[in-house]
Amino acid sequence: MSRALRSGRRITAETFEFRFDGRSYAAQRGDTAASALSAAGVRALGRSIKYRRLRGLLALGPEEPNALLTVGDGPDRIPNVPAPLLRVTPGMRLYSQNRWPSLRFDIAAVLQLGAGFWGAGFYYKTFLWPSWKFYEGLIRRLAGLGPAPLASSLPIAKVRHLDADVLIAGAGAAGLCAALEAARAGERVILCEAQPQAGGELCFESATLGGLPAPEWVGGVLAELEARGATILTDTTIVSASDGVAIAHTAPAGMPGSDTLLRLYAPRLVNAMGAIERGIAFIGNDLPGIMLCGAAERLLADYGVGVGRRVVLFGNHDRLYHSALRLRAGGVGVALVVDVRAAPASAARAELLAAGVECLAGHAVLRAVGGSAVRAVQVAPVGSTRAPRHIACDAVLVSGGWSPALRATVLQPWQSCGAAAGKLTLAAIVGDAAGDGEPQVQPYWRSPASFSQEKRQFVDLQNDVTVADLRQALAEGFREIEHVKRYTTLGVGTEQGRTGGVLGAAILAELSGTALATVGVTRARGPYQPVPMGVLAGTRVGAQLRPARRTPLHDLHAAAGGRMELMSGWLRPRYYAGNGADATAAGIAEATRVRAHGGLCDGSTLGKLCIAGPDAAAFLDRLYLGRASAIAPGRARYAALLREDGMVLDDGLMLRESATRFLATTSSSHLAPVLAHLEFHRDTEWRGRRIALTDVTECSAVIIVAGPASRSMLQEVLGEAWREPLAALRHMGFLDGAAADGNALRVLRASFTGELAYELHCRSASAASLWAALAATGLAPFGLEALDILRVEKGYLTSSELNGQVTPQDAGLGAMLRPTADGAPPDSIGCALLGREALHAADRPVLVGVRAADGRAAFLGGAQVTATPRDTRSLGYVTSAVFSPALGEFVGLALVARDHANPGNEVVARDPLRGGDTWLRIVPCVHVDPDGARLKA
Amino acid sequence: MSLFTCPFCGLRNLEEFAFHKTLPNVPGGVFEATFLRRDTPESSEEHWQHRYGCRAWLRVSRNPSSGDVLEVELLTGMAASDGPAGRGSAR
Repeated sequence: MSRALRSGRRITAETFEFRFDGRSYAAQRGDTAASALSAAGVRALGRSIKYRRLRGLLALGPEEPNALLTVGDGPDRIPNVPAPLLRVTPGMRLYSQNRWPSLRFDIAAVLQLGAGFWGAGFYYKTFLWPSWKFYEGLIRRLAGLGPAPLASSLPIAKVRHLDADVLIAGAGAAGLCAALEAARAGERVILCEAQPQAGGELCFESATLGGLPAPEWVGGVLAELEARGATILTDTTIVSASDGVAIAHTAPAGMPGSDTLLRLYAPRLVNAMGAIERGIAFIGNDLPGIMLCGAAERLLADYGVGVGRRVVLFGNHDRLYHSALRLRAGGVGVALVVDVRAAPASAARAELLAAGVECLAGHAVLRAVGGSAVRAVQVAPVGSTRAPRHIACDAVLVSGGWSPALRATVLQPWQSCGAAAGKLTLAAIVGDAAGDGEPQVQPYWRSPASFSQEKRQFVDLQNDVTVADLRQALAEGFREIEHVKRYTTLGVGTEQGRTGGVLGAAILAELSGTALATVGVTRARGPYQPVPMGVLAGTRVGAQLRPARRTPLHDLHAAAGGRMELMSGWLRPRYYAGNGADATAAGIAEATRVRAHGGLCDGSTLGKLCIAGPDAAAFLDRLYLGRASAIAPGRARYAALLREDGMVLDDGLMLRESATRFLATTSSSHLAPVLAHLEFHRDTEWRGRRIALTDVTECSAVIIVAGPASRSMLQEVLGEAWREPLAALRHMGFLDGAAADGNALRVLRASFTGELAYELHCRSASAASLWAALAATGLAPFGLEALDILRVEKGYLTSSELNGQVTPQDAGLGAMLRPTADGAPPDSIGCALLGREALHAADRPVLVGVRAADGRAAFLGGAQVTATPRDTRSLGYVTSAVFSPALGEFVGLALVARDHANPGNEVVARDPLRGGDTWLRIVPCVHVDPDGARLKA
Repeated sequence: MSLFTCPFCGLRNLEEFAFHKTLPNVPGGVFEATFLRRDTPESSEEHWQHRYGCRAWLRVSRNPSSGDVLEVELLTGMAASDGPAGRGSAR
């Protein structure tokens, strides 16, 4: 093959080398793998999925069924890239697929011999003895297209958002006209084109529009569109569209790697995606060297590649002759044009005959002959039984007509124009244009063949579906096109019936004697074209998908050896390395030290809401259990928030700062629902009242100082000014003052550990120095594991217990439901529905404490509770369980049916997957220091 | 329905809004209002919040079958341009 430089619309003179299946080939900048390999004379680009037959290039677009290549050979290889889309770069390593050990010599090609056994639905009837498992390994290796990658080195896709008044898919003649019309009418236009350049078929047709040659007309339109502010996106395919937003994918390389995901908002969508050429089924129509006519024309015009020296064209319309003339003008040798129509009358045909090219009318190609590529065709008159003529050739260009891009139905709602609407002449689309003229297509779907020869008439080249498969499906009773699709696999895969869908439906119609309109085509589903999942994710990967929030003390935790874990979106220390080998051991050590001496904990993640305004107190009375209006300024109270149906939404502390200002704390994970709940009620029943709700979680860091030594250490660190006030501060009171650096400081005496404890609310700028000063006094930090041990020992509640199905009475908060001072029943949100019968049933679970009956056994949270080891009726479950260092045994909290929840009663914790069954004894919820003496010290 | 009109903020992406619940259309008290529902395919009254925007609560009238939004108004029933007693105007 000559190495002379080719010239074409899409390539430049710059040359470089790339590799395909280990051999080196030359390419020019702008070449795709298809064009470069065709130029080098490589016909076979892969093997088919089922019969492993050698296949070459059929089409020059995403509808290409067989020329799918793997890029690279490392664990980050990219499989199934269509060769006609893949832009070649220097040094690129490409590999064919579906073959082992090589493309030339594929061991599994022997499958072709038993083609009778591998017809449609063979896997329902074969590989049954002795069992499917016997064959599974081999079949898995043979099945599928390219090998999946094991790693990814692809960058994150970029994401763009654009909006416009109209979105036009396709920048061919119809799309450009529609865009021009819309832009001239003042609409904002986005024009999407899947090819690297706008123009579509105009680019290689020798047409004139408005007196201008097509390329000049296209250039002029593009210039005017840009001047009018239209957005023109090339290399961009719309993947799906519905409800006013379209997702589009820009892939300039033709394969994953430099993708952009676009979200396009436009109320009007125009489908100008044109029509896709389809083939004709004849015996051996899958040999390398047989391709669609338009593909050969495009190879010549765009890449300067001549597909052969003795080319046979076969089809059923007038465009064949125009194509033949253009190919001849480009240096491709046309040996023969075969037209199935009996009496074609076309000026181009006359011109062709005058040039000495043989044109047969009323004839059809019966068969293509060849081994690894086509080398001859057999041609005979339509309907004749005479022996066919044998004609040598090195390429066959087939064109059976065009089907509108039916997959476009995944874009909703749209209006179509141009070839997508069935208009096949330029004059019909543009008006003042002279192009190839009406093609006068006469439907012709397949050449005649005997039943056994139909096994080699391919309808769907990607899935190896033949005419024989369609006949078999009909014989087995599959009539609906959707059933036939699933039984024969016609139209599955990456090609999704673009080239084979209408052909298969038409052949099915012929075989079953029904009309094509009755058979129909299968419904298209998104995405329009395969898109990598990573592209659809866009930038929502890693930290952008799930950002981790850090407290102001994060670096101090890390420096102290804290093992940080992501909980409720926050990075929090679970335990500190050095206190134990794992979380459990470290947690026990840290908890022991807190009870013995004291410790520091970071409580900054707990939610804090400010409720302020003249009507705030009355509002909180109605929302929360706990009578907020009765709290004195400077004091705090435990409060619970109920949903409208009476279930506990969250619990926390309510601090009263002044007559009109409160601070409510929430658990870290419940801040958003609590705030939304308060806002909802503020905006409905309480509209017009003066209540301000503000999330102040991130306004202050919170340091928890807990343990018997906490007060004295705090007095030491905060200095003389705080000594007396701290000594006088009672449980559930708080003081506002200043820290050593002058920033505001609040000291709240409250405890989640059951020890004497204080919460320091300070500005973030003060947090680190305050923590360091406290640590210097000998208070060591403890993590969430230890905090959990301490709070379970004291029976304090978290979302493990308040699981959304628990009422205040279930959770032991019934005392908060006492009637108001004037005897009225409590009327906070949720109280009305607490009277429902089911919430007072005898077997409704209530919160209790549990310990092992033998005082030694271990049990875990989540274990179901039953009355006996054989019972199948669950009485509830263990909500939390920890090993208590204070008591030397496992303790926990559980929700157990009221009729089994008497203290001293024994039940079984069932845990078949983790530890087996454990006998438990019901005990009061508070395991350690039930009188609270340590708390109130 | 990928775009949504907030009375304060105008046409925004649906992702900024959080759906809360569909309102029942049966008469009755607290129990009926919380638990008894009869959903119809052609119309639905719903509570949404513009959670990642102005955090206003909205009453939305929607056709759930087609996704068309028929009416969006503030849950309080007040207009978006009301004075300080309401929410105040944003634009």
